[in-house]
Amino acid sequence: MSKDDSNANQPETLKNGFLSRHVFSSNHKAIGLNYLWLALLSVFLGMAMSLLMRIHLAWPAVHLPFLSSLGNLPDRFAALTTLHGSLMVFLVLTAAPQAGFGNYFLPLQIGAREMAFPTLNLFAFWLTVASLFGMTSTFFPSPQPAITLWIVSVAIFCVASLLNALNFSVTAIDLRAPGMTLPRLPLTVWAWFINAILGALIFSILLAACICLLSDRLMGTHFFPELNFISSQPAGAVANAVPVLWRRLFWFFAQAEVYVAMLPCFGLTTHLISTFSRKPVWKERLVVLALCGVGVFGFCVWGQHVFSSGMNPFSPLVFSLLASSLGLPATIFIISWFGTLWNARVQLNTAMLFALGFISLFLSGGLSGIFLARHDLAAAAVSDDFVTGHFHLVMGVAATFAILGSLFFWFPKLFGRRLNEPLGKIHFWLTFAGVYCVFMPMHWLGLIAHSRVSPVSGLTSIALPGSSIHTFITVAILLTVFAQGLFLINFLWSLFRGERVLETNPWRATTLEWSVSSPPPADDFGVTDPVVYRGAYEFSVPDAADDFVPQHLAPEQVVKARKAGE
Amino acid sequence: MQGTTAVPDIEIIVKDIGGGGGGPIPPPDGGDDGDNGGDDRNRRRRWSPSPKRYSTAITIGIVSILMFFMALASAFIVLRRGSDLWVTVHLPRILWANTCVLLASSFTLESARQRLYLADASGFRKFWLMTTVLGFLFVAGQLVAWRQLVAQGVYIASNQASSFFYIFTGAHAVHLLGGVGALLFVGFRKFEKTKISLPAAAEITSYYWHFMDGLWIFLLALLYLGK
Repeated sequence: MSKDDSNANQPETLKNGFLSRHVFSSNHKAIGLNYLWLALLSVFLGMAMSLLMRIHLAWPAVHLPFLSSLGNLPDRFAALTTLHGSLMVFLVLTAAPQAGFGNYFLPLQIGAREMAFPTLNLFAFWLTVASLFGMTSTFFPSPQPAITLWIVSVAIFCVASLLNALNFSVTAIDLRAPGMTLPRLPLTVWAWFINAILGALIFSILLAACICLLSDRLMGTHFFPELNFISSQPAGAVANAVPVLWRRLFWFFAQAEVYVAMLPCFGLTTHLISTFSRKPVWKERLVVLALCGVGVFGFCVWGQHVFSSGMNPFSPLVFSLLASSLGLPATIFIISWFGTLWNARVQLNTAMLFALGFISLFLSGGLSGIFLARHDLAAAAVSDDFVTGHFHLVMGVAATFAILGSLFFWFPKLFGRRLNEPLGKIHFWLTFAGVYCVFMPMHWLGLIAHSRVSPVSGLTSIALPGSSIHTFITVAILLTVFAQGLFLINFLWSLFRGERVLETNPWRATTLEWSVSSPPPADDFGVTDPVVYRGAYEFSVPDAADDFVPQHLAPEQVVKARKAGE
Repeated sequence: MQGTTAVPDIEIIVKDIGGGGGGPIPPPDGGDDGDNGGDDRNRRRRWSPSPKRYSTAITIGIVSILMFFMALASAFIVLRRGSDLWVTVHLPRILWANTCVLLASSFTLESARQRLYLADASGFRKFWLMTTVLGFLFVAGQLVAWRQLVAQGVYIASNQASSFFYIFTGAHAVHLLGGVGALLFVGFRKFEKTKISLPAAAEITSYYWHFMDGLWIFLLALLYLGK
């Protein structure tokens, strides 16, 4: 123990080379950090792409230097949209909260020294890298081989996610420290665990769909025939069922994927809110049930997206009901967050601001989701800017806020330094205002396009490319992206020059990762194995000396601390 | 007070099993991460994660693989019902022989495990080897079935039914070969060096193998009834 303390705030020992310490290490902390670096790279790539798209929409005549060198063709724009979506959804929203923070902190929070299968973990990480490489390189070849390459990359990502899901669920089930019973698990761990189970189910469906699609493209099978194939068949032979198949398989995955991105964020946000409100999570058991509910319902709502596809007329009703029933766990989260915040001595630091921003975005995004869960309304609003605005608010930006909040929260543990608070707050407010300015007008655009009030009136011209509202969105996104530069400066500066954290528990938090030095030693807990004595959210305990009791503190130590405090 | 409860008994028992080997135990999965010095490595060895993790992993893996095949099966059902011009594939007769081989392999696997339980090492090896050979025989039989279909001019791209036949048998064979790999691993590995005990490894392999067996019966029934 003492040996570990002596170099507590140093980077790990420099005995081995950079590659074996960081790149090819099967240590869960190294892998978790690598996932975060990967997500950081992907998020900036994806943001650059959205910027290109928005500039094109606002000023269609402008020739972009990079894009014109590749030929200013419509399929370049389509490729840009696809690539933006796949990078953001797979490499950022799926990878960062689950694989990134999860790999680093799941073993630390449950008192394990490693994931259940470290070599498998390393293998999954490199599969993810291969899939990122495959996806980004699809931008350069001509469309047909590029699409094949993209599908292969997605299939590789599925395999990586399946291996990750396996590793996470086994770790959470079998590697918990003595005393870490299920009710004492931090909600972050619950979220990672339920998410892993959901991922193990849905990524194998996407993998099956990808394999059918690849066999169509490479071996000439007809699982999902192209349009020319349908037209070459006798009328009614192939029937409507054929395109429905792809939609079913795809949406089975894609609708649940939204919850795969959101579930860890619910856990992270609840954790941050409880810690910085200095209060236990209000109705913690109910929140765990709600997390399970999101997993179960999220797995069942896939039919919500196939309303218009000739299914049995009763099935839309069932799925509409199921989709609406997701409102129940969502309401439980919101009530619990407000219950925790009620009468609390809230510490408004940047991490907490991002958690509160998550609630705001989740609420406003969720409200427009109610429109989409009604299948008659969805038919009018679907497919356009309304949906784009909805899912960017609720899934993309809200999840990003949870990721940023967690980064501000865990940065001292990850690197032994703090992120700069004033810079972080400026970054938060600019981003918060920016995303509302970008995505709220998008809802409006979607409604205008479908209002059909009178086609000749000035209303429809608002929605045309190059109109003032498009320009407004584009200017807003430019400012928001520049605000992210502020974050990048803060991140890089704090990494090397930020204020050092000398104590192990700067936020006065309760979970096990704060009982070890920052950054944690190579084997996480030093010589003694951790033992857990209490739940994860014992804040403002009446008879304790401090306003929090860490999970690893034995009852007799609490008594001693109280006597010393008196 | 809730927080005063001490360590639950079951956790202690599990830990005892884990540390009971006594001998030098390598990091799990041969995790030869070069980032630890000698001191750290010794310390890491003392911490031995619960051996239950292997059976948990195989359970979750089986559920996940089942979802994979269910997606394919539901695609089969949707396309079969939606199509009026379904060209049936006549299943080659050898499939029934293959099915018998696979069923027999499940029985020999169970016999092997019983011999292991009775501490009859040579009997265990004999039956285990027999299971492995039967596994290879099944895969070879599937290849013969493919060749027979090709000889009849039925290719993967011929029609939707033939596509499903090749995809089902191919995906199943790939997963089964994973099982054969596990059989070989258990049959030839020296278990003094591994973290998992021989009976546990044999048990986990048997779960997977029986699952592959049942999965094949299901796929065969689907192909047969879908005619």
